[in-house]
This record gives sequence, structure tokens and C-alpha cells, in this order.
Amino acid sequence: MKWDIPTLEELENIVWKCTACGNCKGTYEFGPPPTFGEICPAGVEFGFDGNMASKGKIAFARGILDGELEWNDDFLDAIYKCTVCGGCQNQCELDHKPFIPEIIESMRRKAVNDGVGPMPTQKVIAQSMRSYNNPYQGPRRVRTDWTRPFKKAGKPIKDIMKKDAPILYYVGCTGAFNLPVRNLPVATASIFQKLGLDFGILGENEICCGSTAMRLGDVDEFKRVAETNMKTFKDLHDNHGVKTIITSCAGCFRAIKKDYSLSDEYETLLGGIQVIHTTDFLYSLFKEGKMKFTREVPWKVTYHDPCHTGRHLIEYKIDKDGSQQWIGSYLGKNEEHCLYDIPREMLKALPGIDFREMDRIRSNSYCCGGGGGVMTGYGDWASKNAGLRIEEGMSTGAEHMISICPFCHFNLNEGAKRIKSPMKLYDLVELIDMALPD
Amino acid sequence: MTEKPKESKVDPQITKKLCEIVGEKNATDLKHIRYAYSYDLSFVKRKNPDYVVMPTTVGQVQQIMKFASQKKISVTPFTAGTNIGGLCIPENGGILLDLKRMNQIIRIDAESHYAIIEPGVSHAKFASALYKHGLRWSWPVGPPSGSVSSNAICHGIGGMSGRYGLNSEEITSMEVVLPSGELVRVGSCAIQEDAWHSCLPLPRVDGLFTGWLGTTGIITKIGVRVHPIPPILKVFTASTEKIGDMASYLRTLGNYEICDDLTGVSWWLSQVPIPYPYKPKPDGVPEWVSFATTFSWTEKEKEAREEIWRMAFDEEIKKGSSLKETQYPAEALKARTQLPSQIVGSTKNYTKQAGGGISWPGTFTPLNKWEPVYDAWKKILVARNLSPSVRVTNYRGVHYGMLRAMIPFPKQDPIAVENARQAIVECLKVDLNNGGIPYKPPVDFALEINKRAHPGYISLLKQVKNMLDPNDIMNTGKLAL
Repeated sequence: MKWDIPTLEELENIVWKCTACGNCKGTYEFGPPPTFGEICPAGVEFGFDGNMASKGKIAFARGILDGELEWNDDFLDAIYKCTVCGGCQNQCELDHKPFIPEIIESMRRKAVNDGVGPMPTQKVIAQSMRSYNNPYQGPRRVRTDWTRPFKKAGKPIKDIMKKDAPILYYVGCTGAFNLPVRNLPVATASIFQKLGLDFGILGENEICCGSTAMRLGDVDEFKRVAETNMKTFKDLHDNHGVKTIITSCAGCFRAIKKDYSLSDEYETLLGGIQVIHTTDFLYSLFKEGKMKFTREVPWKVTYHDPCHTGRHLIEYKIDKDGSQQWIGSYLGKNEEHCLYDIPREMLKALPGIDFREMDRIRSNSYCCGGGGGVMTGYGDWASKNAGLRIEEGMSTGAEHMISICPFCHFNLNEGAKRIKSPMKLYDLVELIDMALPD
Repeated sequence: MTEKPKESKVDPQITKKLCEIVGEKNATDLKHIRYAYSYDLSFVKRKNPDYVVMPTTVGQVQQIMKFASQKKISVTPFTAGTNIGGLCIPENGGILLDLKRMNQIIRIDAESHYAIIEPGVSHAKFASALYKHGLRWSWPVGPPSGSVSSNAICHGIGGMSGRYGLNSEEITSMEVVLPSGELVRVGSCAIQEDAWHSCLPLPRVDGLFTGWLGTTGIITKIGVRVHPIPPILKVFTASTEKIGDMASYLRTLGNYEICDDLTGVSWWLSQVPIPYPYKPKPDGVPEWVSFATTFSWTEKEKEAREEIWRMAFDEEIKKGSSLKETQYPAEALKARTQLPSQIVGSTKNYTKQAGGGISWPGTFTPLNKWEPVYDAWKKILVARNLSPSVRVTNYRGVHYGMLRAMIPFPKQDPIAVENARQAIVECLKVDLNNGGIPYKPPVDFALEINKRAHPGYISLLKQVKNMLDPNDIMNTGKLAL
């Protein structure tokens, strides 16, 4: 299988498109009213221009490319102190805009390739991926622990390798192994059962999507699991009747939808399979009137847009043949696939919900701080940053924060604990499950 | 690939002392951090600072300056680094004083229409805060991330300069740390600690810190006038075939003093982005277009402004001008009237096609010299395959005017960068010889200014500089004295 994953050197011409104007350092909209906000978690925490936004990361890339910056522990540390959230990318208007996360990750790929990356704490993830096929050092039998209540209740969840089903619920490692987040797959499966959907899981045969490895620059490990997964999905499609893959993890969704598409066999292996986030899938049923909310959820809530279901799904229009402006010109963006309106509409449809918006939302959402390997590599900073987001949520008067990403879920709850906030993070599926009748 | 700067000589003892002042997290000599401060948008060659320090309090700034003065270490003040003259690139290494963490809006006095802010406050942050009070500032066509304070003290301009003049003319008070570390105040706050409303009627010592490009002291707080936002915006747009007709129109309309911003731009600058390399203007389109922004409180006031504009327009037609009412290119108009703007601010307008680099001959040039200077600039720029993307603007009616050319270049290509630099310096010489004066000048320009300066002026500059900065540590080399 061939992959179109560029090296830093291959991106050099694009790196030089940055003017260093610094607009990437903060959000700004003319309005009126004009709005402003911090957007770069690393910038907020570390402050130096090199640490901050794409302006800083481009400087690092230039330094590597012109031979002035060489690897050392401090430099490597700075390369990995980035959540790759894409907040800076959303502010940029120049031709390198579509490639900003790619430039950051290409430096990490170079670091791994040169034998110095990722950071020591993150190397544990890489080792775990190789040993356990997941980043949590979790034995494969633990993957299905969350299904026990269903078995106990006489409603076991189908093992799709044994019993065919049209829907594969791809649970993801965080939902399966990270104890505080297990409510997420439980609620998802509960909803599916309440709705009478015919679905199954890979259970102990599920392996990591590879998102974390990709974000850390471990491209070989990413390719290994991605290729295995794509072949598994193809087999499920051809031999087990799978037509739809649903994932409730923003990271998995982004990886399967976007990172896997860098393979030259993507269409061959995943053609005919719909890959969809749980929220989007449930929304269709809701709009078709197949999902009725009857129970009150009398909560004041706000909504946090995860990076991976938001701006990471923006499609950038680039003039590929020079027919409109010039070859490589960034022409505009399409936010059609970003899950911005759907979760809000679903939330507002729940009986009793009092919905409040934060200032930084949608494409200008402030990252929880857990992405890009930061939660593993720099857990203390990740939770500190999450505390900032929780404070923003609390300023709306909301009691709880809702999101659709298990990473955000875990990290924001860590942030709330850190600042001793009563606010808790719930996944949207948890609220939907509460609102649905048995 | 860019030319490598000479190696820095980092002294760990100096780093240690700086860490003691601002804390371990806010001072560093790490090379990758220093590298990120070694270049900006301009053609100015990369130079690394030896140390980067981010103070958070005035006391810390004082301690840093006192230490730097004792050790005779160069200090380059930095807020956002968004100027296009290399003003924050350290000519001689030393300490890069990054003030971005001093970013508090200390007060917005909505009754007396002034605000007190720290140097790290960006235009974006200030715009958001002022709007809540129905107030505005004269926003420049620069990045929203740029510093309000730095723009003001470097004689920056903005969208209300047609009415109020330069942003430095809107300064009401200052708190400054001198190179020695001494804390001084300028304006009303010097007499009563809490009064920041006016520099006058005291002696204008604010001039010791404005236009000096950060070579005389560190502004730690600044008071600025802010203005109410009238609800009705009317933008008059017109075009001419020639710069002479445009200058005449701007002069005539400027006489009536009804505009916040009164600007003409050449066809090349009205494109988003500026074409790079040069391409000829299409046949049949005017070479100059103009926008004139007016704000009114009532419809009747707007109608009166329309009447005046029509009168000025008719006056020009009677002179045989090529002036026409016209549509200004939509995105460019948005970029210049919805300020602060990411369209100009991200340099989408300026550098998107060339890639990475932008510099300018930015000058104050009398209106009656716009035509000969533009004609000469156009020849110079076109000969070097660069677009003559020129802007002319009246300040304070017709009292004085700005003439500048935004010159993009591909920063990846050193030959193209040098080509742009040479073209810009050639343009500057033409302008200086016609009585123009560059603003926010890079060192290349300062050299040309000083060549032409009266010896008494240079002597006075040196005396003032020596008085304020006897060890010559502040942004050394920038004045090319």
C-alpha cells in the first residue's frame, strides 16, 4: 500500500508561504461586534513566539530546513508541545493554511525518523501500540469490559466477526480502556439497542485506529494499524454485511475519514462503506422521526466543539492546476462536514435543556489541551489548559459541559477537578440516552 | 534558503540573571526560541537575539533595563513583530524584550474617551473591548495581532487618520522605563497618578519616545484617545486614469474635512492579492481607485456628506478630470473599511501570491509631489518586475499625506528578496529627494535619511539619544546614527 504522507522537505515550498504576520496567534472576527480570543494552548502556556501558533512552528520548520536548528531535548520538547488543534490554522489566509497541521506533524515524523522522537512519555504509547495494538497498554480481553452490563442484562452486544450486522460500532481505545470514559460506549450501545439497530463490535479483535501514532509522527506504526484496519473493514463489508462504520471517538473518526484517505487503496478498501460519527448518525434518525426524546434532562449546559470533529474536518479548496489563481493557491474553505450545528441542534431538542454558548466556538473553539499527544506527553499542562476551558464554560452559567470526543471528555473532567469546579463533562450520547425511553 | 546570521555568544550567567528577574519560564537562551525572533515579514536579514525575556510587570522591565545597562547589553523591544521594516530584528544580538504578556486593558474611560493599555494589547483585543463601549480606535491596515501601543509610538496610521492624523497624535499619556531602569511619566499622569487624559498643556516630552523606533525607552503603559462609533457608514468610491487626477480629487475632497479616511490606491494594490510578478493592468480599467469613508449619526448628516462629496466631485469634473464614480473591488474595499482586517492583516492582500515577504517605501510625502514620485516609482518597480502597488492618503484633511508602495516578494528566494530591497531603496531615494520622509524605516532607509539630514538635526538626535541611553543599549543600530 502506498501512502501520500509528505516529509518536511517535501513541504518546504509551502513552509515559505508564511509571512509571520502573527494573525494565527489569536481568534479575531470583525463582526460587528468584533470578537477576540486566545486560540493557541501552547502560546497561552509557554508564551514565546516559537511556542505560539503556526507562526512559531513555521519558524521551527524553517530552522530545520535551513540547517540552523538541530535536534536536542529542548527543541524536541517544543515540537511536541503543540496540541495540533488547528486553531491557528483557522486564522490564516495564506497558501500554507491547508497544510499547517501537516507541517507540524512532518517535523514530528522527521524526529521519529531521525530516532529522537517522540518524547519519552509518548514512547510508551508507541511501545504499547506495538505490544497491545492500543495506546493504553490494555490487554485485548479488557476491550470488552464495558459490554458486561449488557450481557448481564440479557442484551449482549453482537461480535460482528461471529454474527453479521450492517453496522459496525468502532468503539475506539479511549472508550474501551480509559475507565472514566467508559460511559461513552455504554451510552452509545444503549441508544442503539433502544432504537433496535442491528449492530456489532469487533470486540477483542478491534485494534487502534492509529490516530495517536500519526499525531506523534510515528508514521510506520500508523500505517501498520491503518492497513490492518482497512483490510478488516473491507472483509466486514464483503463478508459480514457491514455497510456503515460508526465511531463515537473524534480521533478515530478523523483518522479513518481523513488520514486513511492518504492511502492509494482507500477507495478500493473502504469504497461502499459509510464512515460516520455517532452524533451525525443519530441526527439522521432524529430528523427522520425515528428517535423521540421523552425524558426531561433539566440541565444548564454548554457545548465544547472538539477539534477533530470540527475544524479538522474543514475541506480546503486549493487551485491544483493554476486555472483559477496559481498552482497551490488557497481558494477557500468548506465547513459542510464539520459537526457544529448537529450536536447543538440535538442538544436543544432534549426536553429541559437550557443551552448556553461560550465565546470561542465552532472553528474558533479553544482546544481542551489533550490533542496531538499532549495528554500523554504533558498531562499536567493538558489538564491545566482544560481548566481554562472549564472556566470559560462556567462563565456562561452552565452547570455541565457537553462534547462528542472521549479525549476532550477525559481531559476536561481532569481540568474541572484541577480547578475544583463542580462542572462535569458529559458526552452528548449520555444525555441522549437519558432522554430516550427504555 | 536564507543567509545564516553570525553565531550568538550566549553567556549562561546572563540567562541566569534574567531568569532570576522574570522566572525560569519567562527567560531563555534556547536557540530555537531565539530563531523564531530572528526574522519578520520584511527583506531585513535574519539576526538572532542572544536571550529572550518576557516580563509581566513594570518592576521586571525596570530590573531588566538596569541589568542590561550595567552590562551594556543591547535590548530590542518586541510586542508582535508585525512591522514591515525589521524594527524588532536585533541588529546586535542581546536581549529580545517580548512584551506580549503585558497585555492588560487597564481602563476604558467611556465618558472622557480615552483608554489606558499595556504594550501587549493587540488591535483585535482592543477592538473587541472598545466596541462594548461603543468606541473605536484608528485601526491600521495591519494584522489584528499587531500592538496598538507600538503602532502609536511609531507614528502608525489608521482608518481615522484622515480626520485625526497619526495615531501618535492620539497619545494622551505614557509610562516609560528608561534604558537606565528609571521609571518616568509623560503627560497628565505625570502630575496626577490617575489622570491619563492629555499630554497637553505640558511640554511635549512624549516626543522623546514617539518616532524613535524603540531606541529611547520601553513604554509600559500608554493612554490613547478613543472615539465613538457613529452608526451610519457611507463609503464613496471613485476612479481616475492618472495619479494627477486622483491627487487633485483627494485634495479637493480633503478640503471639506468630511472623511475619516481618504485614500487612493493604484490598480495593483486594489487587487487581492497584489500581483507578483508584475503584470500589466488590463485595458479599459482605471489606474487609480479611491475610497472615502464617512460616518454619520443621522441620515440627514449622511445626506449632507453626500451633497458635499457630490460638490467636490463636480468641481473635479469641471477641471477636466478623468474622475468617475466606480465600484471599488469588493474584497479590497472590505479589507480597508472593516478594520481591523484579517484580509490585509494576514497579508492576503499583500503577499499571498509572492509568498512570505513584504516591505515598503512607506513615506509622508506632500500631496503635490505624489505624481512625480509615483511616476518614478512605477518605472523603477516595473523595470524590476514588481507591481507598482501604491497607496496615497490624506491626513487631517489636506495638511499632509502618505505615499507608500507595498512590495511583496517570495521570501524563499534570496535573489528575489534582494531585487525587492534594491527597488524599495531606489524608490525611497526618489521620495527623499522630493521632500518625502519615510516612516517606520528599516536601517537601509535610516542611512539614506541621515545622508540628507541637516548636521544640526543629527547632532540633536545624538545628544537626545545620549541623554536617554548613554550606554547605547536600546534597539541598537536602528537609527544608523
